[in-house]
Formats: sequence, structure tokens, C-alpha cells
Amino acid sequence: MNDMPQKVELSGEDQLLLDKFLADNRLFLGPDPEIMRNHKIQPRSAMEETALAGGLDPHQVHHVRGLINAALSEAFTMVNQMGAAPGAKWGDLVTGIYTAQGDLAMIAPHGIIAFAACCFYPIRFIIKNWIDDPTVGVRDGDGFIHNDARYGGVHNTDQSMMMPLFYKGELVCWLSSTIHEGENGACEPGGMPAAAESKYDEGIKMSPFKVVENFQLKRDLVTFLQNSVRDPKLQLEDMKVKLHGVMRLRERIIAILDQFGKDMLVGTLRSHLEDTEAEMRRRIREMPDGTTRVLQFMDSSLRENALQKISLAITVKGERMIMDFRGTAPQFMNRSVNTNIASFKAALCTGLLQNIWPDLPHTMAVLSPIEIISDRNSIIDAEGEMPQAMSLMPMFKACVAWTIPMNKFNYSLPHKYSAIIASQYDQAATFIYGGITQHGDVTGNFCGDINGNGQGARSHADGEHSVSPVFGFMCDSGEHEINEEDTPIIRLGAQRIAKDRIGFGKYRGGMGYEQIATARGSGMWGFMTGCEGSKFPSAQGLFGGYSCPSYQLLKIKGINIFEELKKNPKIVEVFDIVRLMNEQPIKGGRYSSNDMGMTFELCDEGEVYMICQGAGGGYGDVLERDPELVMKDLREDLMSHENAWDIYRVVYDREQLVVDVEATAEARAAERRARIARSQPFDTFVAEWVTPEPPAHLPYFGSWDDNRRIYAQNPAINLKVVMDADQLQGVFMPNPKDLQIAALEAQLAAQGAELEACRAAR
Amino acid sequence: MKRVSVDIGGTFTDCFVAWGGRNVQGKALTTHHNLALGFNESLANACRDLGVDVPALLSQVDSVRYATTLGTNALIERKGPRIGALVTTGFKSTIPLSRARGYGEGLSEERQMDIPNAQRPEAIVPIPMIREVRERIDYLGQPFWPLDEDDVRRCIRELVDAGAEALVVAFTNSVVNPAHELRVREIFLEEYPAHLLGAIPMLLSHQVAGRKGEYARSMSTIMDAFLHATMYHGLGTLELNLRAQGYDKPMLVNHNSGGMAQLNSTDALQTVHSGPVSGIAASEHLMNQTGLGNVVATDMGGTSFDIGIVDQGGVKHYDFNPVIDRWLVSIPMVHLVTLGAGGGSICSYDRLFKTVKIGPESAGSDPGPACYDRGGLKPTVTDADLLLGYLDPANYANGHIKLNPRRSRQALEDLADALDLDLTEAAKLIKKTVDANMANGIATELRTRGYEPKDFTVLAYGGNGPLHACGIAAVLGVDRILAPPFSSVFSAVGAGNMNQMHIHESSTWTVLFDPNLKRFFSDYAAFNASVEELERRGREDLLRQGFDAADIRYRLEIDMRYGNQRVQTAVVTDLNRLDSQRDVLRLMEQFHRSYGDRFGEGSQSPEAGVRINTLRVCSYVEQATAAFSGIQDDGRAGRTATPVGTRLCHFPGHDGAVETRLYDASALAEGTRIEGPALVTTPATTYLIEPGWRYYAAAQGAVWFTRGGH
Repeated sequence: MNDMPQKVELSGEDQLLLDKFLADNRLFLGPDPEIMRNHKIQPRSAMEETALAGGLDPHQVHHVRGLINAALSEAFTMVNQMGAAPGAKWGDLVTGIYTAQGDLAMIAPHGIIAFAACCFYPIRFIIKNWIDDPTVGVRDGDGFIHNDARYGGVHNTDQSMMMPLFYKGELVCWLSSTIHEGENGACEPGGMPAAAESKYDEGIKMSPFKVVENFQLKRDLVTFLQNSVRDPKLQLEDMKVKLHGVMRLRERIIAILDQFGKDMLVGTLRSHLEDTEAEMRRRIREMPDGTTRVLQFMDSSLRENALQKISLAITVKGERMIMDFRGTAPQFMNRSVNTNIASFKAALCTGLLQNIWPDLPHTMAVLSPIEIISDRNSIIDAEGEMPQAMSLMPMFKACVAWTIPMNKFNYSLPHKYSAIIASQYDQAATFIYGGITQHGDVTGNFCGDINGNGQGARSHADGEHSVSPVFGFMCDSGEHEINEEDTPIIRLGAQRIAKDRIGFGKYRGGMGYEQIATARGSGMWGFMTGCEGSKFPSAQGLFGGYSCPSYQLLKIKGINIFEELKKNPKIVEVFDIVRLMNEQPIKGGRYSSNDMGMTFELCDEGEVYMICQGAGGGYGDVLERDPELVMKDLREDLMSHENAWDIYRVVYDREQLVVDVEATAEARAAERRARIARSQPFDTFVAEWVTPEPPAHLPYFGSWDDNRRIYAQNPAINLKVVMDADQLQGVFMPNPKDLQIAALEAQLAAQGAELEACRAAR
Repeated sequence: MKRVSVDIGGTFTDCFVAWGGRNVQGKALTTHHNLALGFNESLANACRDLGVDVPALLSQVDSVRYATTLGTNALIERKGPRIGALVTTGFKSTIPLSRARGYGEGLSEERQMDIPNAQRPEAIVPIPMIREVRERIDYLGQPFWPLDEDDVRRCIRELVDAGAEALVVAFTNSVVNPAHELRVREIFLEEYPAHLLGAIPMLLSHQVAGRKGEYARSMSTIMDAFLHATMYHGLGTLELNLRAQGYDKPMLVNHNSGGMAQLNSTDALQTVHSGPVSGIAASEHLMNQTGLGNVVATDMGGTSFDIGIVDQGGVKHYDFNPVIDRWLVSIPMVHLVTLGAGGGSICSYDRLFKTVKIGPESAGSDPGPACYDRGGLKPTVTDADLLLGYLDPANYANGHIKLNPRRSRQALEDLADALDLDLTEAAKLIKKTVDANMANGIATELRTRGYEPKDFTVLAYGGNGPLHACGIAAVLGVDRILAPPFSSVFSAVGAGNMNQMHIHESSTWTVLFDPNLKRFFSDYAAFNASVEELERRGREDLLRQGFDAADIRYRLEIDMRYGNQRVQTAVVTDLNRLDSQRDVLRLMEQFHRSYGDRFGEGSQSPEAGVRINTLRVCSYVEQATAAFSGIQDDGRAGRTATPVGTRLCHFPGHDGAVETRLYDASALAEGTRIEGPALVTTPATTYLIEPGWRYYAAAQGAVWFTRGGH
């Protein structure tokens, strides 16, 4: 038996020797917590101190900033135009510039902030590990590739090219270009495998490594990467694209250096960060002190129902802002919906810039003054071995987490930097696809519909329908005629506003749209959908506004719609999800309603898959909605007459859509009286409603009423664990197929026993 | 050659007359209620200079040509018919959802980023006026759902009942098989013959735009329908006015494609932005006639700064999906970028970066800059220019607007305080910043297309162009600026020198190289037939307008891409037909070169496959153009102008006031040379020659600014 040895007291000298031994004999340069847990800008480097020592002219700095912006914009346009991935075509990309220490300083005006807000982690990794490593080194003309989110990144489907910029022999800054590439050789095509049970199912995992020397891609490594993914063409094309985008950017930055000198460039990048951070602190100071909260729930692990809590309390004290995520669900050991804290913070950065203060510069410095607290090994702060291929799930929540607590702070401030807004629909509601195209190409990717989330309602107006993804602006949901040239996907319902699926309120949320797809002309094709919110709504309302509804995946299997349309062109009146499912016009089809988290599934020619892009949350009391806005929604067929009455209590002529003002006022007054009649004292409500623990029937993960105690319970497998928040363990979930097999075997056994009993009775 | 060309802008109606070797210009205020009045006055002004009366002139000219902003104005005012749209079942929300990004098209970057305040523009076709029809065609043009004619009849009836005054049909993939759209028109004519309802126009999307992209094509068709009546009536009135004054030839209308056609062969959408595009056409004309080399055309007015590129090698830059007003459309329009920077751009303090911010808001012309004394309280670029001494308060805009420097000082005070600068230094900072912003805009435009600014001559026109040209060029690293002849009516000059041209496009799925099968394209007959069809359509357009078939020229442009890229690089090729594998390889080589020039050598990916997306044939007839000789600076010693005075001016980079010589319009006399700093004030504009720059007045009012060895 080996007893634990007594701890040996070490002299300082001995400790140094041991430390050196450990440093010299590292087994594996995994994600480095020192890098990955630090979202703040670094202290000024000596180079930055020198640059700023003389005091730079702010107007000259601004001039140089304009030149850098123009260069970033030029490189962005190049990558956008040259890129082959749908993500590049429809706006999911960025180009960025970083300080020599790896702080993200600026991104292209239309770039996706989260991509760049993650990219400084791998750059810091390269700086820390490869610069002085004689087997790697960092030299002029080198380029590094990376996709593993554990080293920094949104998810492994995004690939970055990072290039050091040397000027007169000195490293003065870093440049990057990132594209959501899609296919990455994972266990499911398209790069976002919800079925990944471990990180080894996630496809290629590139820690930052050198793939470019002397401005040339190394063909041996390119071949290795092409060999590791389903779409070797895409891999090659976009590596070239990113490299040439970054090289163009390098050319422009060197011109700036030639014209203005190193100190001006270095000083501009640094002061851009510091000025932004100072402005953030000033805005926090403007806010009232206090704490506001929001609870968000993810309702699926994309394999089974699982209500996962994300708990957030924002506290403002002077110029300090603390975001406290303690009480959040524990990580899953074999589900892909985890994220690491660095990626999660990148999403927070995105959400702040998208929803609260969009006028701030898009740089990591906006997050720098904010303190972020989380439980280690929670679903938003998962450790490296956990799969995180669908990290989008918690990250999208991070994007919208700001809206409710911050708007509570900001509502009464005299100066507002943007509108008061309810939550945007926050799911990746698009088809992910894979297979062999009609042209014989093997591919896997996703559709541009991800870019059309419905907007939350505002304090002054309805939300805009399908306005943007939660992670970017001016993104594009695409043209289906063009998509159909490249893939065998045929859209029977391209973008059709999802009637009645509304976040109601005084102002309603912007609406989403139905997507109805099938495939044609492929030997093998399939879809997956990586969405939650089929049971618990995804977009919360604000100040009394309704949440959006839940959305399901609907299928009609066992048919070939093309054959059906050929036989009887009138068999379908309109491709409308509700009507198709209610009327079931095609006989022999298997109609089903499913969770929107579908792992990859083959689609035979002409089978129909239907999902919805969702609506944003509503704002304010529905009884305060202007009846004329209700009539407008009716005229636009956004809503049924039933909802006009049930929700809004408007009385009107159904033919002419003319409001009876007096009758409406009376109906609303009656409803207000009825509300009062239904109400009860708060203490009574609490006594009836609040339970000491989560209800036993709920698959529930996260704290209940005490953020120090974290529940993990799943009635389907009789799991119930309560953990201390500071000692969280990952939760292991059984394979749903195993559960299904076990259930079928039990059923078989029971029926066998019945049969035996019958035989015995004879 | 005798010819009249007119640019009807929002404020002025400009006129350019080429009259047997003499070129003259006219200017008058635009009369929006009846465009003919402004036209008549503008033309009368030009005739006065020529000593010819208007009817005599109109009876002798070979043509009258119009570039007009009528369409732009109609869009701004939302003045158009109620339109109904028929779309493919399943696509009924494509138009209102506008590819998500439609909320921000046509807005400044700041407003695009402010998503919480996003607001889509008021719809031209509101949702209740959109109907779905059962039909569907795939990407190759094969129908898999036949057109439901009952649906068509019902939908048309509903839209007509709902008050549709124009109908648009935009079916998915109609550009590769228009059969369903064409059948809808037949049904419409059966159901609603013209005598029954009068003329409800029905526009078919495949006839308006030839390329794929259902949203952009639908919007193009809708815009065309929306603008049709306004354009037809507006231009028709002009044509009647011409007839009444003795002009008996067809009126010609300039297009945003860089060509022109008779009124009856013009789609309304083709006229939008034809004014600024005419300016680029004038730049091209000037380049061709005078050997300027590559030209970047810049037009700085009161509210905006337009940029266009003219390549001496003949490479054409188009926007295939330009934004018109707030909508993305599908039309090959000469590439034009508009920045929100002009004399009226408002200057404010940027607290975050402790400097000045220019725009994107503009004081416009109403109330205008503070110095206009019309109630504007915010400082603008023009206020800064005034305080720096560049503008003559008594003679601004030919004396039409009296400038009040006191107002400028008042407006600038707060900003200067915030910047901790005195008024002059603040004004210098504004000048420097706005020049840098415009220079960055030009640089980005050029470099994104693979050019370097130093290889270009900057053409500066528009009211504020010659005032800021030196500042912009200095930032760009450009040493040659030309304020072109007739710069204040430059778009009208361009309108008079375009060719009659029609562009026809067709989307195609043509794989030149398939890397999976290692196969090269060989269906030459199909390719050639497609090109021939486009040529036939262009030929018919021109024959209909009375041209001889022998005079018709064709230019084939092919949009190509590698693999599944989005970018479509336009290749202009002399290979009008393909006959061999060698032709295919040659075409791919041409593409390879164009792509490498633009994105960098080595960025090409032929191993991913090479594909043609769009074929485009420009069919045109070359016509006589106005001659501009003597524009180049021949380097000879010039005449010396006599200053009419001096003024203390301030320049960025120069401490203290600099005594600056002042000249009047006599300095436009050919051969005049002036060393900067100096100011030349003419009725049309002010030329600012900054320290270190030289001024040379060439023939016909053209002015060069040069520095260094140039």
C-alpha cells in the first residue's frame, strides 16, 4: 500500500530547480489557464510604454486609426468575396489586428466580434510557447492556423489564420482572419456535431500551429488538413483566402508603419484599447448602483430534454461591474453543449456591443473592466476534456443575457446609447447539412438562415422581423436560388413569416420565419438542427412582454414530395407548417413533431423537414398595445383573429378590420379586473408556488434557491445529485439510443413474459 | 457634332452643349413641378453664350440626352403606384424580410451597428399585397411543380381588388426558365384585357434582371414597377417640351449601366443614379481623349462624396447588387460608392477618442451649414472652410448664398472648447479629418479592387471637389489632380458622351473545369448559343431604335468563380465564342490573371474548380463624342495671372496664418500658372491651391493641381 508521503519542505533553490524541470519536461501544451481565464487587456508592455511616453496627439492617433480601419475593411471585403464557405459568403467572418502582446485592438467594421474576441487567446498561446521554442519559432512570413475552441474560439468549426507582423526585425503586432468554415471532419458533417460524446468526436482539433512559412502554405500540412475533413476543396480554398486576406492587411499596416513609424502604430493600438476601457468605466459609473438578475434556461442537451439554468446577477458599484454566473448548470461529460469560459466571455462581449452599447469600438477592451465570476466545471466554464462542439447553446444565451438586467439599470438613465430592448431569439435556427451534392462534391455546412433571428421588442416600437443573428449585424440570410446551385437542398418554404408565433406585448417581438426543406438529386444527403427552445421559450420578454413561443422540428418522412406533386399538383395548397401538420395532406407520410435538437439524419429524396426561425421577446403589457397595431398585424396575416382577442382583447370588425374603440376599452378594463380577481397576495403565491427543491419530474441542472448548491437530476435515469458549487463534477448522460434499446428490450421481455403466461395458462 | 445633354439633379439642372467644336454649359434651378421649365432655362443660358436661339439649336442637334434623378426623388418621396406581387409558394416573406440585412442597407455604418434601433424602410410592396402561387422550377430550369393557373387567376383577382395599380411576378429560378412567368402574363391579358381596366402594367422579374438571387431580383422588378409611371410621365413631358420647340428626334435617356437608350427602350430602374454615373462616364471619356491613365472620379457635393473608378485598360467595375435608396437590387450598375461626407457634414466631439468626428449626419441644404444663416446651429465642414479663409462670404455659390462667419464661429465654439483648441485649430482639424476620411474611402475602394492610389489621377468635381482636392490627394499619396473642364456640369458632359448601349445578362451553370471528374467544359454549342441569344436581344434593342446592324458592337463579359466562392470576377474577353479546349484554357487563364491582380498572385484556386455564373453581353453603337483637347499640362511656361487681392488663410500642418493670393475667374484662362497657396474663386466653385501645390489652367476650363515632380 502506498501511503501519501509527507509534504516535503523545499528551499527556494530546490523549488526553482523543480520548476525548471517541470518547465523543461512538459508532456503536453494544453490550453493554458493563465491565458484562457484572463479576459483583460495586458499591462502596457515596454514597447507600448515607449510609444506612449511622449504623449501621442489624439488627432493623429485618430487619423492612423482611420487608416487601420480602412485596411481591416479592405481585408474583410477580400475574405468575404473570395471565401468559399457559406459562412464567409453570408457574413460570418472577421479580420482583426492585435497588439504584440496579443490583445485584440481592432476588427473590421462589419466583422463578427466574437471570432476576434476569442482569437487573442491562441495568439497569446503562440507568444508564450512558440516564440522561444527552437522547433517552432515565430518569424516574418509565418502564419499560424487554429480551430480548437479550447485554445480560444467560438467553436471548432471556425478556423483562423494568424500572422505576426515584423517591422525592421521587431514583432509589432498580430493580424488575423477567421471564417466559420463549417465542415471539420467531426462525427457529424457541418462542423457542429451535437452527437459528439467526447472531444474526440469533434473532428479536427487544431491547437495553434504554423502552417505558413515565407508567406506560403505548407503543402504537407494542407494535405493533412484536407485529409481530415469531408470537404478538401473548401479546406484548401479558404486557407488560401484567409492567408491572402491577412497578407493584404499586412501590406497596409506596413505602409502605415513606413509613414508614421512604429511608435504611432503601437501607440494607436494601445490607446484605442485604453480609451475604450476608460469609456466603459465611465458608462458603468453613470449607472445606478445595485444588482439586477436574469435566469435563462437551455431546455435540451441536443440529445435529450435537460433544463439547464444559466444564472446571472449583474452588480454595479461605482465603476465596478460584476457579472456573477454562479448557480449555473454543471458541465456534461458527454454532451456537446458545454463551453469554456473564454468562449463564453467572447459571447458576452458580442452581446454587450450588439444589444446595449453598439456605439462602442468593437474590441476586447469593452469587457476588460468587468469582473466575471463563474463556477468552475459549470456548463459555461467547462474544462478541456468536455465536448463543446455545440457551445453555441450557452454562448447564444450569453449574447442576449445582457438585455433584461442592463435595461433595468438603463431604463431611467437620462442618456441612452441605444434603445431599450427585449431579448432577441437566440437559437441557431437553421439547417445544418451534409452529404454528396448533385455535383458529386462531399460537403457539410449550414444555411444562411442562421442570420435571421427575430428581434426583441423595443420600448418605442415592435421588434424587426428576422433582423440579424445574435452575434453580428448586417449579416445575410442569403438567396435560395444561389444556394440551390451548390447543394441538393430544395426549399419548399424559403422564408415564410411564422404566423401567430409571436412574443406578444405592448410592442411585439420581431417575428421569425418557417423553413421547409427537402433534398433532390443526391445519392446521400442529411440534415441536423442544433437548436433548443422546443419546450422552454428562448427569448424572454421585458417589462411584462411575453416570451416567444417554443418551436419544434416537424418532419414528413416516408414520402417523396416530388412524386406527390407530380401525381397531384394540388395535393399541397401551401407549404405552411401548421397546415401541413394539421391537415396531413399527403397520405402515407409519417408526420412527427420533434425537439429542434436533431442529430444528423439521412433525408431520402423528397422527405420534408420543417423548422422555424424564432421571434424576439415582447415588451410591456399586452393590454396596452395600440389596437391599430393589432389590426396591422392582422392585415399582414402575422396573427389570427383568435389571438387578437385572447391576447390583446381588441374588439373589431373582422371583415373590415375596424376597431370598436369603446368596446375594446371596456374589454380591456374587464380583463384588468379579471387579473385582479385572479391575483393573490405575494406571500400566498410564494407559499403555493415555491418548492424547496426542483420538482422531481424535471430533468433539471443548476441551482434552485441557493447558488452554492447545484442540482443535477434526470428522472429518466433516476439521477439526482446535489453538489457544492465549488466542487462541481461533470454529469454523464446515457446514450438515448441505449435507453431506447433498453425500453424496447423491457417491452419485449414483458410481452414475452405475457406470452409465456398465456402459453402456461393453456 | 451638335448635341445637348442634360443632368437634372435635385437642386440644379445642368446642361452641356457641343456645338460644332464649341462646348458651352448652362445651369438653372431644377423645377420639380415641371422639369421642362428648368431645362428650358438651363438650355437658354447655354444658347445665350452661343448666340443661338433655342428652337434653332434644337432643330440642328443630333440628339438630346438626359441623366436624371427623377427616380431617386420618387423613391425618397415614395411616389409611385400601389404594387401587387406574385411569388412562388413558400417565398411570400422573402421581400419583407429582405435577407435580414435589409434593415441597414443604404445607412451609415453607425446606424447599421445600432441594431436595437433598427428600422426597415417603409415597404414599397406591403405584406398584404403579396400573394403566393403554386409553381416551382429548380436551379437548372426544370419545373417540378407545374404552374397552378387557378391560383394565378385568384391571386391576380385579389390583388386587383385590393387596388393594385401595377403587378410584379417574381418566381423562383425564372431566369433559367421563364415559362411560368410568361404564362402568368398571358393569363393576365386573358383575364384583364387592356380595354377592361386600362393599363395595369405587369412586370416579369426575368425580364428586369437576368441573374439569380430571388430577393434582389424581386426588388429590382418592384422598383421598376414603382418608378415606371413617374419616369414615363416625367420624361414624356420633357419629350413633348422638346417637340414643341422643334426637336424631332427621339429623346435619349442615360442609364446607370454607363450606356443610354431611347425613352421607349429604357427601364425605369436603369435611370436611377444615372446622374452620378454620367460623371464617371465623363471621366472615362476624358481619360480616353487625353491619355490621363487610370482615373478615380470624385464628386464632392453638399451632402455626399461619390467615388468611381475608371481603368485605362478597359476593365469595367460594376455593382451587380447595388443598393438603391434602402434596397438591394440586381442590375449591372457602374460601380459607385457614396460616402456621407460633404460640405454640409456635421462635426461633433468624439468623447471617446478625444478628437473630432465628421458626419454621418448632414445639415444638407436646409438648414445648411451654420454660416448659411438659415437656422443651422451645428458646425459643418463648410463652416470650417469659411473660418480657414477659403471661402469668399460675399461670392459663395456665385453670390446666391451670403455666408455669415459669425454663425460659423458660434457653431464651432463648443466643439473647439471640447477639443481644447482655438477656433482656427479646430477648423484645421476638421479640414484635415474630412480630407483623411475621404482619402481612406478612395484608398479602400481602389485597393479592394487591386489598385494602388498612386497609379491614379484624381478627378475632382462637384461644388466642393476643387476645395478639398489637395488635402485628399496629399493623404492618398497622389500628386496629380484634375478638376475637369465643365466640372460644375460634369455629369451633363458625361451624359453627352455615352454610347447607345444595352446590357443583357443570363445566369448559367457552366463548369469550365470540374476537379472531381478532371473534366473540362466541352459543350461549346450551348455556350455559344447563350451568347448569341444575348447578342440577339441587344441587337433587337438597337435595331428598334433605328441603328444599322453593321454598326452594332458586342462586348462579352463573363462572371467567373473558383469552387463555391461568392465572388464573381468579371472577365472581359475577346473570345466571343468557344470552339476548342484551348479556348476554355484561355478563358481560365484570363480569369486567373484578373483574379490575381485583384486579390494577390497565389490566391487563385483553380484546383477547386472553375465556373461561369453569369454571361453578360453589352451591345452598343459607338457615336461621335465631344472633343476635349489641350487638357494635358504640356509643361510650357504659362501666363501669369494677376491676383485680385490676398487673404490670410490657415492650412493644416502650417502654424499661423498664411498670406494667400486671391484670383478670380480670369485665372481660368488657358495657360495660367499659379503657385500655392492661392485661391481661385469662380462663379461655379472655389479652387484651393494648398502650400506646395501648383495650379495650371488647361484648355476649356480644366485645372490641374500638381506637386513634386509632376
